[in-house]
Amino acid sequence: MAAGLVAASVVLITLVIGIRGVAAMRSTSDFLVASRRVTPLLNAAAVSGEYLSAASFLGIAGLVVKDGVGALWYPVGFAAGYIAMLVLVAAPMRRSGALTVPDFAEARLASPRLRKLAAVVVLVIGGLYLVPQFRTAGLVLSVVSATPYWVGVVLAGTAVATTLALGGMRAATYVQAFQFCLKLVLFIVPAIWLVLTAGAEVRDAAVQPTEFTHFSQDTPVTFRVDVTLDVEQPITAFTREGEPTRLSEGTHRMAADSTLVFPGGARVPEVAGVSPPGSPGWERPLLDFAGAGHPLLGTMAVLIATMLGTMGLPHVIMRFHTSPDGRAARRTAAITVTLLSVFYLFPGVYGVLGSVLVPQLYLAGATDTAVVALPMQVDTGWQGTLFTALLTGGAFAAFLATSLGLLLASAGAVAYDLAPAGLGRLRLAVVALATVVVCLALFAAHLDAGVLVTWAFTVAASTFSPMLVLGIWWPKLTAPGAICGVLAGLLASSGAIAVTLFGPHVSGWLAILLAQPAPWTVPLAYLTMVLVSLRGRPPAWSMPAMLRLHLAEEPAPPAARHRDRTAR
Amino acid sequence: MNKTASKRVAVMSPQTRLAHSRRRLRGPWRTPRLDPGDADRAQRAYRRQRSRGITALAATALLLFGLPVVFTMLPALTEVRLLGVRVSWLLLAVLPYPIMVGLAWWQLRRAEAAEDPGERDG
Repeated sequence: MAAGLVAASVVLITLVIGIRGVAAMRSTSDFLVASRRVTPLLNAAAVSGEYLSAASFLGIAGLVVKDGVGALWYPVGFAAGYIAMLVLVAAPMRRSGALTVPDFAEARLASPRLRKLAAVVVLVIGGLYLVPQFRTAGLVLSVVSATPYWVGVVLAGTAVATTLALGGMRAATYVQAFQFCLKLVLFIVPAIWLVLTAGAEVRDAAVQPTEFTHFSQDTPVTFRVDVTLDVEQPITAFTREGEPTRLSEGTHRMAADSTLVFPGGARVPEVAGVSPPGSPGWERPLLDFAGAGHPLLGTMAVLIATMLGTMGLPHVIMRFHTSPDGRAARRTAAITVTLLSVFYLFPGVYGVLGSVLVPQLYLAGATDTAVVALPMQVDTGWQGTLFTALLTGGAFAAFLATSLGLLLASAGAVAYDLAPAGLGRLRLAVVALATVVVCLALFAAHLDAGVLVTWAFTVAASTFSPMLVLGIWWPKLTAPGAICGVLAGLLASSGAIAVTLFGPHVSGWLAILLAQPAPWTVPLAYLTMVLVSLRGRPPAWSMPAMLRLHLAEEPAPPAARHRDRTAR
Repeated sequence: MNKTASKRVAVMSPQTRLAHSRRRLRGPWRTPRLDPGDADRAQRAYRRQRSRGITALAATALLLFGLPVVFTMLPALTEVRLLGVRVSWLLLAVLPYPIMVGLAWWQLRRAEAAEDPGERDG
């Protein structure tokens, strides 16, 4: 109940700041001035606020519990993305005057077809990124308040769509900057409290992982998805009502939303395809997908996707536009690296504590809820309740800020790039898209937030990253080249993901290249773009179109003819 | 960029711009042009930023892709402990962040220095 209250107050405070932000903007005579006042620090806080999604707040710790310490490569890649952004994209993108990637496509290459294609890519990335946000909201709500999964998903979708359709069209900067501070505090303070309160025994166990083989005490497990358990020794478990159920040797299928209480001392049943927390290899700092046996390749795949994908995220690119000039945009990226680095020191703390205190979540298919499940394991009194509530609030802030930005970017792609329409249609697009994403999220309960989000990064890295990097740094890029490259990257990356989701089971390095296709789809997209461009001839204006992206704004105009440049 | 291309882009919040989008939809696309002076300046800035950017990216790539190789070559790092914590955990969970922050600010300073008036005209 307390958790619900905190989540509700996060939504309320967000609304209040949003409304106040709008009022502050209106009071200035010229909206342009207000916008140019967005300092790099404020903007970096807003970028980080929008960027730290449910995947960062809950997903990474959940993946550490499930896959091992190697999952900490995800945040490294997430933060490194802003170095790539700083070096390659931030200042030229701001100087192009383009607001979204489809905008940039048209400004640099003058191709309406490329613009429409880019809008489709925005929708794919938006979908892959939004589904885990809504899914995790549903999962967290079902853990803290015992509601069914779908209730949380629908509530989350309704809250985001309503906020956006009613008032979210303006002045999001202050909201997102506030949410960054909120998330930082709500993540770091409970982490320190957990480490201090957990006791020396738990701390020692956390740094010396042992395989989760026996339940240390009576442990209730609520299965969030259908799970097949492989029981080695017969167990007498209990239902929620206290009825004994005997699990004989062999496989048992557990329906989603059922609960079993496993007695302390019983041997932990195995879950097909997943190794328990603390098993050999868990402590290795590399990512090995599905036991494929190629940890180096798996780690590199995630790093390529996350580092190169960041620059193509539609909701992040948008935020850089609120900087007054290219210099401030670059500065924003540098501060963002700093702010994210502070945040990303802590998911590992939750991860290793989670593997000791709540390893049973891996049976339930709910490792993403490890962060919010931890406080009650350390303290069952008011402190535990309080910190559960705080972390739930932080998780909601995470999912809210990201979803708002993504939904707006996706709605913009529909109502601005694909089917030009007015404000009314934009609102309609928001509601329609939210409905589609809610429906998708209802069937995505078994997919980890971190994995889904990495797919969004993979698609961005295979489509927008080559288009932006080559568009900004290579004058010979042509519109047909960009179209072919984006198409190749989009089809290859989404095709590989579709095969992973719906196709036959594969193993070995092929499994990695299908589940994390960045190592081949990114070079494929770059190569296609370069080769097709080289076959054609760039138009005469191609060189000035590229060079003007690198022309710094005059800090103080020495001559009259530069006057209008500073207004940009 | 100045007299010749008079298309001005208003700076506003992304949200506002989207909401206002229908007013500037499908405006005529203008050929980008640069003054000869500006073109020279832009060409020099482009080259400088490119060479500096490549160094920074190479350093980041070395850190990111080198560390997994180190972990593969030296599995013993997982056995050695510092203050009770495995060294490889510290190398992964803590070390990259200060280095990346340092890289970001180093590159920021170099990119800004490349745009300073003295450097720009020289």
